[in-house]
Amino acid sequence: MGETLGYLTLSWFDPWLMFLTAAGTLSGIYVGAIPGLSVTMATAILISFTFKWEVNDALALIAGVFVGGVYGGSRTAILLNIPGAPSAIATAIEGYPLAQRGEAGEAIGLTTVMSVIGGMIGIAGLALFAPAISSFAIQFNSRDYLLLGMIGILLVGTLSGESFAKGVFAGALGVLIGMVGLDPMTAQGRFTFDTISLLGGIPYIVAMIGFFGAAEAFVQLRDLDLPAIKQKVDRIIPKMADVRKYFVLALRASGIGTIIGALPGTGGDIAALLAYDDAKRATKNPDVPFGKGAKEGLVAPEAANNAAVGGAFIPMLTLGIPGDAVTAVIIGALFIHGLKPGPLLLIETPHLFWFIVGNLTLANLFLLIFGLTGIRVFTKIVECPKAILMPLILVLSAVGTYAIQNDPTHIYWMLLFGLIGYFMKMYGFQVGPVILGVILGPMMDTNYRRAMIGARNDIGIFLWDFVSHPISLVLSVSLILMLVSQTPLWTRLRSQSKTPAS
Amino acid sequence: MTIPPTRRPGELAFGIVLVIFSTACLWQAFEISGFAGLSEAGVFPMLAAASMLVSALFILRDTARLSAVAGDEKPFFAEICPTRLIVMTGLVLLYLVVMPWLGFVVASSAFLFASIAYLWHRNIIWSLLVSLVSISMIYVVFRMVFQVVLPKGTLFPGLF
Repeated sequence: MGETLGYLTLSWFDPWLMFLTAAGTLSGIYVGAIPGLSVTMATAILISFTFKWEVNDALALIAGVFVGGVYGGSRTAILLNIPGAPSAIATAIEGYPLAQRGEAGEAIGLTTVMSVIGGMIGIAGLALFAPAISSFAIQFNSRDYLLLGMIGILLVGTLSGESFAKGVFAGALGVLIGMVGLDPMTAQGRFTFDTISLLGGIPYIVAMIGFFGAAEAFVQLRDLDLPAIKQKVDRIIPKMADVRKYFVLALRASGIGTIIGALPGTGGDIAALLAYDDAKRATKNPDVPFGKGAKEGLVAPEAANNAAVGGAFIPMLTLGIPGDAVTAVIIGALFIHGLKPGPLLLIETPHLFWFIVGNLTLANLFLLIFGLTGIRVFTKIVECPKAILMPLILVLSAVGTYAIQNDPTHIYWMLLFGLIGYFMKMYGFQVGPVILGVILGPMMDTNYRRAMIGARNDIGIFLWDFVSHPISLVLSVSLILMLVSQTPLWTRLRSQSKTPAS
Repeated sequence: MTIPPTRRPGELAFGIVLVIFSTACLWQAFEISGFAGLSEAGVFPMLAAASMLVSALFILRDTARLSAVAGDEKPFFAEICPTRLIVMTGLVLLYLVVMPWLGFVVASSAFLFASIAYLWHRNIIWSLLVSLVSISMIYVVFRMVFQVVLPKGTLFPGLF
């Protein structure tokens, strides 16, 4: 107990860790707020620079960026009606009308307090449920990991992007990129085309920076102008009465956020939209109608998306399955530092788990401080033209890629991935599933082969195992349900069952 | 998100490229170990490539079903591949090519200056100033704080 407490509070008393967390949170707020910069992009680039650091230092910085970034999107959503991040889409619906009425400061203040409440609840969820899930997950075997990986990729694929087929394609492409290099089990070359530089595989950070850094910079080149902030921002500390009034709603939204965040493949953006929808239904008589600046519609998505941060760490740390694109990148950071996220992480390195919990809490405290101050500087920095930002992102992507293995060919790979990512985005593909595929592909491959060897290479036994073990059965059924729900047959069945009822 | 009623410029060609690429991947995956066994190194890559091919065929079918681009739509180069993208890709490529020669600091300063001057319609002096300030910040943060090894050039040995 005493030890746990020590790890939990490690970053609270160490000035350097505290500084890194604060710096991460502050820069995360700006990264999240500036449209065109995303948390995923920033984390991917940061990992390449921090991989030689101590694990704790790197994690402190990254946790700060994550927490700050999820919140930061709300600021531009309120001030400019442009969500700085996808998780702030719902915030813009209510926040911008409030700003137009001259209540921007109050909206930002309320958002900050509710984000912190949401964040804290998400962390509590992580601290409470992760140990339980992890001790349950020890019973999972290779088959189940294969299924979990497929479910994770398919969930990201279905929920984002234009069509299911595009999601599957992106996920499978990622898996394939993850396969390049020497096979870890037989040392056979895969997709190496007999070139030495491909034998070691393509480091996933290279793919991450390409798909999230360069590709996004290319997309942003299309529209370089950002409207200047004209809103008057004065009082930023929210009224106590407001905080009290919406506290219950925030709790409810945080619950939704934690659970949605914890599902593999779903993150803050979906959590925010669901919580917004829930608040809309639950609020019978809002003071101001929804869509015109209802504070309920501001509180719910913001509490939920910050709660989803804690939630997203649950599957990442206990199962090794990232909850969304950002956690996929963070899992990459853990791998780089030689850690193996999965059920054994909590048993072998409990100090790391409690350090993460404590650090996320600290980042949330900093969020409260930075969220309620510095708004004037903020409005100046966010106006930084994209014509300057985008070339900078490209330079940072190049240095970041080079820094991993000091291999200049990796920069060309990064550029190639950036261009592929650009065209995919243009034609309605999401790049999130690609990264999930790159991270999960090798894990799924190993587990598939273990399961197959376990079934003595007999396809009958192999398939039978999927339905004869309770955990595998539950996972197989969920996977099949997910697939069936995407087929035209299902839509037809649903429309038929609806017709007689109406 | 809803599927747009019309096809985006070049979308059909992109769909065809995806199918060809997936087929090539499947063939390469087959080359790894063929059908030698169910737990061989090539099985999972084949499964992944096959999923790519199947989904690419579905994507192609869905794209083909959309009505073609209307007459007043912008063509491929204006809509999907604007001049700005081509110029910037060219600049990045040039930047990567000259980096081993000029070294990171000089190459990046030149790249930043060229691209900011191109994208930002302001005074040249301003662009120069902004790129010099940014490169010094990057140098301080990454070389001194993060201790990242930055590529050095052969032109100014020992200097950059």
